[in-house]
Formats: sequence, structure tokens, C-alpha cells
Amino acid sequence: MTNALVRQGVKRPETLGLGALILAGALLAAVGTRILTGPLAILALALVLASIVALVVVATMGTPETRRKIAPYGLLKPGMLWLALFYLAPLFTLLRLSLSTLPSRFAVEAEFDWNFDNYVTAFTDFGPQFQRAFVYAGLATILTIAIGYPLAYVIAFRGGKYRTLMLGLVVIPFFTSYLIRTIAWRSILSDNGVATGFIDAVGATWFFEAANIMDNGRLINTPAAVIFGLTYNFLPFMILPIYVSLEKIDIRLLDAAKDLYSTSTSAFRKVVLPLSLPGVFAGTLLTFIPAAGDFVNSLYLGSPNTTMIGNSIQDQFLVQNNVPLASAMSFVLMFIITVFVIIYSRFFGTEDLA
Amino acid sequence: MTTRRPNPFLAARGPLSRRQLLIRAGALGAAGMSLPALLAACGSDSDSDSGASGSTPATSGSTAGGGSGGGSLFFENWPSYIDPTEDGLTGTVDRFMEATGIDMRYTEAFNDNNEYFAKIQPLLGRGEPIDPDIIAPTSWLANRLIALDWLEKLPVDQVANAANLRADLQNPSWDPTGEYSLPWQTGFAGIAYNIDATGREITSVDDMFDPEFAGKVGALTEMRDTIGVIAMSLGIDISTLTTFDEAQPAFDKLQEAKDSGQIRRFHGNDYFDDLSNGNLAITIGWSGDVAAIARDNPAVRFVFPESGATSWADTMVIPKGASNIDAAAQWMNFVYDPVQAAQITTWVGYVSPVAGVRDEVEKLDPDLANDPLVFPDDATLANTQGFAPLSEEVEAEYDAAFSAITGA
Repeated sequence: MTNALVRQGVKRPETLGLGALILAGALLAAVGTRILTGPLAILALALVLASIVALVVVATMGTPETRRKIAPYGLLKPGMLWLALFYLAPLFTLLRLSLSTLPSRFAVEAEFDWNFDNYVTAFTDFGPQFQRAFVYAGLATILTIAIGYPLAYVIAFRGGKYRTLMLGLVVIPFFTSYLIRTIAWRSILSDNGVATGFIDAVGATWFFEAANIMDNGRLINTPAAVIFGLTYNFLPFMILPIYVSLEKIDIRLLDAAKDLYSTSTSAFRKVVLPLSLPGVFAGTLLTFIPAAGDFVNSLYLGSPNTTMIGNSIQDQFLVQNNVPLASAMSFVLMFIITVFVIIYSRFFGTEDLA
Repeated sequence: MTTRRPNPFLAARGPLSRRQLLIRAGALGAAGMSLPALLAACGSDSDSDSGASGSTPATSGSTAGGGSGGGSLFFENWPSYIDPTEDGLTGTVDRFMEATGIDMRYTEAFNDNNEYFAKIQPLLGRGEPIDPDIIAPTSWLANRLIALDWLEKLPVDQVANAANLRADLQNPSWDPTGEYSLPWQTGFAGIAYNIDATGREITSVDDMFDPEFAGKVGALTEMRDTIGVIAMSLGIDISTLTTFDEAQPAFDKLQEAKDSGQIRRFHGNDYFDDLSNGNLAITIGWSGDVAAIARDNPAVRFVFPESGATSWADTMVIPKGASNIDAAAQWMNFVYDPVQAAQITTWVGYVSPVAGVRDEVEKLDPDLANDPLVFPDDATLANTQGFAPLSEEVEAEYDAAFSAITGA
């Protein structure tokens, strides 16, 4: 029977490859979501293993032509299995949870019953938190571009022999924990701390108050502090992709533009900027998406009036024990971010990223 | 300028493609963010191993003789809630280990009752044991744990000193049979303030809502204390609450203060730093905590608001499936000895549940024996109220309304 299968497979290697890929992925996802348990799960895992063996057997026994046709599926397989187990299965579990109900207030296991109320609650009760998350993350993204682009530009075009050192300095903060860096800002920005003391000493308090950065003499526990924290923490994620796309630009293109009597400004606008947009696009995704779901900055630098959706999800998961509601909120967040990214990539995306 | 040097920092073989960069940045992101975010989730309840008794009892061996048996014990409590070994004095944990030979681990993992409940729920709810042998939920949470059948009965016959329990705490409302819990400490929630930041003495809850302190006011995440103190200032008797509507005005007042930006932060037991450095000028705090902060910073003070303070009790209970019940009984017996309890009282500054402590404290610190916050007289007690026990449905309403203000 194996022989027959192999012979058949040899005749249609791509069908066998695709079939084995989908079957193995689906089975692994089913085991991961615990749809299949006990002996069935063991059987499923055995089938997954068998599909891998079958691919290998067909590839080794077949002609070079067969191998050529089946190779892509073989190469896709590890990634597919990884995705099935660590992406599809959790996503499905989360979706199921988001449609479940807790049978009683302190129950541990939620029961699945197509409960769409969780989504209604997520939308109606947490509107301000969603808004804040996207506004803060959006402002932080714009700030990181404003700060990161010039910096990346200088490193790429004027860095010379110090370029490596400067890039290293951008990355060095990562050697310290994200959490510790954020908490450190608490003491720097505290009411009687270094920052307020300095602002007071140079007499700029009125300016910061007028710009809504300070509030009744405090820098911390304000929306500005949360946006600042997000900007600070995500800046390297903007700088690095922009740097890479700037660094790839052939400097002779600029010389050519100058030869054609372009001013420096229009050379930048017409040559450098368009060529670096893919980096800005990638940096925006790397900054905006995690920033919109972040809860650490608001937790440590914010106030009850700056809670972002990440804080609410964390609160529902870890303090209120309302896992179904928290799952629904996570899904809504994912959905909105996906829509944003699709729209954004339509307008600004480049074909190789979108 | 036409030949570009490969960048050795990012890639050994020439410049990175964007795709490579994305992959690396992604890896960096995974290392730099996901993990810390996870840590934050775990760390925000300020797990600190044996911070109070600086001598890390967890690792001290049970070499000291004199006691019977040995074995081990794990007590998870609130921060600054026991006398540590310092300044030449031996802390209660170390004295206990010396007296009994039991190897005791003491941690301060409690920051907030709801947070702690969420932490133990997945295990106890599935009938699996948690690590600690004794935990210190506040009375209302102890009551919930009893109702959920997540507690072991205390081995009362092994705790002879339980006879020293204060008369008013026997068969309390949260544990009518007294079989599941023994109080650890009791105390009051009132107003804590930093006079350097307020610039004046604070006497009433209304001061919390003074626009002068906008953004410098805190409140506890402990619903019964925050809502209790505010409700009392509005003339609501919190000891007789049976419905949500009766307390509605207090919730409205808190909501208004939060919306206007008056409130800087809702905190659990982690308000010491903010109060001490003046980030919080005024907040709702716990009497003994404030006494502890005041030892380091005399500008921090605690007052009973004119309208009164709430009174509460934290308990010692044994979670279901705990492995060292006998050692737990020995511990309870030990701390219910007035001589030992007096040592704790002198350091924590709360109201001891043990009768006869006052005489012992008199010998150690005569001033403290006359402190109405530690040994409340009738006039002080008349100015306090305990939060009424709420039925489960009503409690759910209170919790939902409160978390809508604080958590969301």
C-alpha cells in the first residue's frame, strides 16, 4: 500500500506535497487546541510524522523532476507546522474563549456558548481605552519618525567611520530590561525630581504647563509622560529599518541629481525620501503595533485617566479574572490593528512589504 | 564615497537587506519587549521575597536547636507586616525558627486582595495546591475563600494560644464558626498625607477633593477602604450596607474625582515611595503602613478623618492542600503568645488581635501603649466602621462599579 501511495505520489508530487502540508498543519492545530485529545491526539501526531516521512521517501525515491516539484512543500513544512502549533492553535483557542461564558463569578473554566456579549461589552465599556491606545501609539509613532529619521540619516550618510559606533549606541539601551528603563523614568520625572527641578530652575514651567506637558507642576502620571515613554521605548525600532533603507541608497544617485541641477532639498525630496519610505513603513509597523497594545508605559508613567486598552486587557485577565471578556478585547484590538495596517499599506506601503 | 564599507556591527558580510533587518529587529523586539511585558505582568504585584526580614529566612537552615521537630513553613503576607531582624533585634520569623527548628520562608507577595485572588484562583479553583502554607487575605476575601471551600480548617486543638484572641474577634462575621481563620493584624484606613507636599494639616476627606491637590491625590485599590472612607464622609453608614444604591454617592464622588484628574493613581500596598517623595500629597492609606513610612520620613502623617475611618482585619488562613499544616499551627500558636505578638505590634504599629499585648508593649515602648491607633480607646473606636459583609451578587455590583473606575 505504501508502494502504491509512493507511486501515485511520484506521479503527482505537488498534490502529495500540498496534501501532506495541509493535513499535517490541520492535525497539529487540532492537537494544539485540544480538539483531539488522548489516543486520538497520539494518532494525529503519528500521522503528522508519517506525512513528513512520506515526503522524504517520495523525494529520495523519485526522479530529480519529482524532487524539484516537491521541494517547496518540504521547505514550507517546518514553518507551517510551527505556525499551526504556535499561531493558529492559540488564535483559535483565544477566539473560542472570547465567545465563552464564565458559569459563575469565580469559575476557572469558561464554557463555550457563542456568547457575543463579550464583544458588545468590549466595544461599549472600553471605547475610551481603545481611543487612547491608538491616539497615544499614533503620536508616539509620529514622534519616533521625527526623531529617528534625521538620526538614521546622519548615521547613514554622515556617520563615516563612526557609523558602527553610532548604531551600537542606538541598540545599547536594549541591554537593560524594558521594564527597568521605564521604571527609571519614574524617578527622573517625579514631582521633586531632576527634570521638574531643571524646568523650574530655567523658569520654563509656564511653557510646559501651556503645552499641556506638565499638569499642576507634575511631569509624570500625565498623557504626555505615557506618549513620551512609548516614544522612548520604541525609538530604536524606527531608527534601524530607516537606517537600512537609507544605507542601501546609492550615493551616486544624489550626485546625478545634483548634476541635473537639483537643489539639495529637492534631491532629498525626490530621491532619498521615496527610496527610504519602505524603511519608514517597516518602522511604523514595528512601532505602532506593539505601542498600541502596550500597557507598561501607562502602568508606570500614567494615571487612571491614561489607561490604554493593554492595561484594560491586563486588568481583565489578571485582576478581574474575566478571561472571556479579555479575549474578546484582544480580538477587537487585533482586528482594529489589522484594518489600520491594511489601510496604511494601501496608501504608503510598497509592494514588497504590503 | 562610491565604495561603501560593509557594516560589521550588523552583518559580517555586507549591508543588511531590509528583510534581514526586519528579522533581526523582530528578534530584538521579541527579546526586548515581550519578555519584559510578561515580567511586568508578573512583577506588578511586587513579589519580594522576605523583604521585611532582611536576613532571608528562606535560606537559613534549621540548625538552631531548642525546638521540637523541624520541617518547613511558607507564609505569604503583605509588605512591612512583621518585625525584621535589624538593629540588633531578632525578627519574629527568626525567633520562630530558632524556637521550633522549623525552616520558614516568609514572602511579601500581597499587594492587593483581588490581584492575589487572581493569582491563586487558577490553582485552587482546579483543586491543586498553592505553595504557601499560610496566606493573609483580608477578612472579606477569607470569607469568599471559605465559601468556595478553598481553605483547610485550622488545627485549632494545636493552637492553644488561640484562646488569647480578642473577644470582639471571636466568631467574626466572615468566619462565623471561627474554624478557618485567625486574624493576623487589624487596623484602620484613613488619610495619609505628606505635610511637605500639602503645606498644611489635613483633617477631612474633603481635602482630598481640594483642587489645590489636583493630580497629587491617591486612593487604595481596596474597594472597601476607598469607598468606605469616602462614603463615611458623605454620612453613609458602611456597616449596614445591603444594596449597591446606598453607596452610589460615594462611587459618583470617586468617579468625578478620577474624571477631573484629581486622582493621580490607584495603588495597592505600593504607595510608600510616592507618598514619601511627595508625588502623592494625600491618599487613603493604612494606619500602620504610614507609621512605618513616618519612621523614615517624619513629614508623612496619618489621620482619622473627622468623618471617621474604616476598620478591617487581615487573617491567617491555610489554603486547601497545604503541606505543612502542623508547622502552620505552631506558627499561629507562636504569634498568639502576647510576648511575641508585642514584638510584632511594636514594629508594625497595627492593632493586634491578641489580648494581653498591651501589657507586654508597655514594657517595650510605653509611648506606643498609649497610642490610640495601636490600642484604640472607645472614643477612637466610635469613630470607625467596618464594611458590611455583602452578599455575593451585591459584592459583584460593587466590584464591577469600582473596577470600572480604577482598573479601566
